[in-house]
Amino acid sequence: MARDAVRFPTGLPGFEACRGFVLMQNDVLGPLQLLKAVEGPAASFLVIDPRRVLPEYRCELSQADRHRLGVSDAATLLWLVLVTIELDGTITANLRAPVVINPDRMIGQQVVPHDCVYPLRHVISEGE
Amino acid sequence: MLVFTRRRRETIMIGDGISIEVLRIGRDGVRLGVVAPPEVAVHRKEIYDQIREANQKAAAAPQDLGAVAQRLRQKGA
Repeated sequence: MARDAVRFPTGLPGFEACRGFVLMQNDVLGPLQLLKAVEGPAASFLVIDPRRVLPEYRCELSQADRHRLGVSDAATLLWLVLVTIELDGTITANLRAPVVINPDRMIGQQVVPHDCVYPLRHVISEGE
Repeated sequence: MLVFTRRRRETIMIGDGISIEVLRIGRDGVRLGVVAPPEVAVHRKEIYDQIREANQKAAAAPQDLGAVAQRLRQKGA
């Protein structure tokens, strides 16, 4: 696996065999980033910091999620949400199931906080 | 599929680390308590299925990422 890859011990739902991802960003992509699988089947996802979509975005991690991420200090976690471009061009973000990365341990996981009130399909920009 | 009859306060064990207890039986549903090791994720299946489906849609990245990013910048993101 690439040296700077983030390990996803259980992959992502639907992409369980993708166990390693790199996060790519550049000026053209900004504010988006690309989460690209480097282990397992080819897959890549557009992601964005949820607070750029909804400034008050906040979710609590469960004790079990904190354990899986090896979290000692929740303040250092990187939160991202998956962005979908629908067929009509509508851009949505999945605020319900964020991807959380612990940069200290390079472990990531898509979590589904039980008390999360945000939608799976939050429209950022309407299509044509 | 293994099928059990369980009453309130009765439990089934899966392996040595997972147990599922029937806490309450109501008219509309059964309330279950799940104890599992921290490395085992526990989800309501219909929510897991929704997320899997959403992930599959999200994985189909468009050709012109620059144009998408531009639209988001215009939205102030």
